[in-house]
Amino acid sequence: MPSWDEFQPFIVTGLALGGVYALSGVGLVVLYRATGVLNLAFGAVGAMGALIAWELINNAGWDEYPAYGICILFGGVVTLAYGLLFGPPLANRDPLVKATASLGLALILLGTMSWIWSDKARSMVLPTSNENFMVSDVLVNYTQVLGFAFGVVVMIVTAAFLRYTGLGTAMRALANDREITATLGVPVRRVEAAAWAGSGLLAGVAGLLLSNLVGLDATTLTFLVISSLAAALIARLQSLVVTLIAGIVVGVVNAMITPILSISEYRDMTPFVLAIVALLWLSRHREISISRSA
Amino acid sequence: MSVATEPKPRSPLSPGRLSSGDTRRAIVIVALLAFVLFAIPSLLSVFWLKVLTGAAIYSIVALGLGILMGRVGLVSLGQIAVLALGAWVAAKLFFDTGLPFPIVLLLSGLITMVLGTFVGLPALRLGGLYLALITLMMAGAITVVIATTDFPNGGSGFLGHVESSLGGGDSIRRPAIAETDPAYFRYTIIVTALMFLVALWHVRSKAGRAWEAIRQSEPAALAAGVNMTLYKLWAFALASFLTGVAGALLAANVGDLFNYQFPTSQNITLLAVVLMGGIYSIWGAVIAGLLFRYLPELLDSWNLPSDLLTILFGVGVLQVLLTAPAGIVEQFPKDMARLGRFIGRLVGIGKRT
Repeated sequence: MPSWDEFQPFIVTGLALGGVYALSGVGLVVLYRATGVLNLAFGAVGAMGALIAWELINNAGWDEYPAYGICILFGGVVTLAYGLLFGPPLANRDPLVKATASLGLALILLGTMSWIWSDKARSMVLPTSNENFMVSDVLVNYTQVLGFAFGVVVMIVTAAFLRYTGLGTAMRALANDREITATLGVPVRRVEAAAWAGSGLLAGVAGLLLSNLVGLDATTLTFLVISSLAAALIARLQSLVVTLIAGIVVGVVNAMITPILSISEYRDMTPFVLAIVALLWLSRHREISISRSA
Repeated sequence: MSVATEPKPRSPLSPGRLSSGDTRRAIVIVALLAFVLFAIPSLLSVFWLKVLTGAAIYSIVALGLGILMGRVGLVSLGQIAVLALGAWVAAKLFFDTGLPFPIVLLLSGLITMVLGTFVGLPALRLGGLYLALITLMMAGAITVVIATTDFPNGGSGFLGHVESSLGGGDSIRRPAIAETDPAYFRYTIIVTALMFLVALWHVRSKAGRAWEAIRQSEPAALAAGVNMTLYKLWAFALASFLTGVAGALLAANVGDLFNYQFPTSQNITLLAVVLMGGIYSIWGAVIAGLLFRYLPELLDSWNLPSDLLTILFGVGVLQVLLTAPAGIVEQFPKDMARLGRFIGRLVGIGKRT
C-alpha cells in the first residue's frame, strides 16, 4: 500500500476531474428534468467544440480566448438546434427512445470529427495550466482549480436558478407534468429551448476543460460522458447535490486507485462499478406502475 | 423498445402449423442459402469472402440485440462487450482444450449465456432507460477488464496471454473441415443459419408470445400470469448464447484477437444498424450485419472515408425513430412499391398527353 504522501497528488487530479464530471452531470440532469431527454451526445458536442477551438488556435491563428468562447458557444448552438429540430416530434415518446435518438446525434458528430480531424494526437493547453501553486507538497495548476470550482459553482448556481427564478420554476413544473404546465400558460417550447441551450453551453465548457485535463481525442472525450453519466445515474437523474457529490467521489476514487499497483490498471472501471452498485441498491424496491411519466 | 407507432406483426403467432406462405418463404430461403453456399465462394475474392464471413457473424450479434429490442422491448448497449466476452471464452477453450470445433462453439455460447444472463439480472428490477444505461456501464467495465487481461493466445496461467513481442502468441485454429477461407465462409453461413432457426423457433414458441405480452404492457403481462422474471432472463440468455457463438466464430475467423477489435463505440454503432435493419423482423439482422461489416469495406474500396458511414448511421437512427420504426426490412419494399406507383403514374401521364 502506498503511503499517504503518494496519494496526495492524485487527490488533486481526482478533485479536478470530479468537478468536471459533476459539471457534466448537472448539465445532463437539468436537461433530463426539463425535457425528459437524456442527452447521450453531451460528450460528443463538447469534444467537437474543443476540436474546433484547437483548429482556430493552431491553424487559423485566433487568439485563445475567442476560440474558447467559440467552443462553448458551439456546444450551446448545436444542442439547441438538435432540441428545436428533434425535441417536439419526440416529446411524447418513451425516455428510452429520446435517449436513443440522441445517440444518433452522437454518431453524426463522431463521424464528422474522425473525418475532419483524423485520429492524430493533439493537445490543448489552457493558459491556466501553466500557472501553479503549492499546497503542502503538491503542485496544483489553475486548470485543476477551475475544473473543481466550476463543478461546485455550476451546481450551486443551477440549483438557485431552478429554485428562485421564473424560468427555473417553469423548468421544474415541466419536469413534473408537461401537459399541466402547458395548460397553465407556460411557453413550454421556449422553456425547453432554454434548457437545451443551457445544457449545451455546459457541454462546451466540459469539453474544453476535459480536453485539457484528459486529452484532446474525439473518441475519448465522447465516451467520457459515460463517466459523467455515472454521477447523474447515482443521483437517479434527479438531485443536483447528489450529482455533485457523486461526480467528485467518482473522480477522486478513480485517481486514488492509480498508485495502488495491484488494481491500478482497473481504475477506469470506477465510474461503472460505482454506478452499477448504486443503481442496483436504489432500485431494490421496484414497483410496476402504468403512470404516464416513466 | 416501445416505439409508439410500431407495426402489427405480419404473421399471427401460430406455432406448429405451417401456412402456404410459410412454405413459399421456406423455399425462397433454402434457394437463397444454396446460392450463398455454392455460388458466392466461387464468385468473390478471398478478401470479400472474409468480409462476408464477418458480416454473417455480426448478423448473429444483431439478431440477439434485435430480439431483445424488438421482441421484449429491452435495450442493451453492451452487446459488443458480450461479444468480446464470447471471443475470450472461445480463445481460452481453443488453447486449453483439444475439443472439436462445434463443441467449442456450443460451450462458448453456453458460458457466455451464463455470464450474459448475469449482465441481464438488473433487467428484472430496472426497465427502459435505466437498463440501457446499466448495460452501457457494464460494457464499459468489461472493456476495461479485457483491455487489461488481453485475449488468451497460448500463454500459461488462467489468462493465457503472452506478449507477442516475447515470441509468444499462436493463432486460433479453425475447424479441420474448414481451414481455407471459402470453406470457413460456408461453415459460418451454416452456423448462422442454424442460429437464425434457433431464434425463429423461440419467437414462434411460448417464449415469443410471453415476450410479446411483456413488450406491449408489463402490468398486463403480469396480470395475465406471465412469469416476467423467467422470460426476461430467457431473452437475455438467448441473446447472450447467440452472441457467444458469434464470438467463437469471430475468434476463428480473425485468428488473433486484440481488444481494439471491440471498441466501446461499436456498442452504439451496433444499436444503430440493428435499428436501421429493422427490429421487428429477424431478417433485419441480416441487413444489420451487412451494414455493419460489408458497407464499410465497400466504401473503403471506393476510396470513400468510412467515417461517412458513421454519420449515415446517426442519420439512420434519427430517421428510424421518427418515421420508419420497422427499419429497412419493412421500409424498403414499401418505398419500392411507392416508387413503382410513381413511375407507373409518370408513364400513365406520358401516355395520356
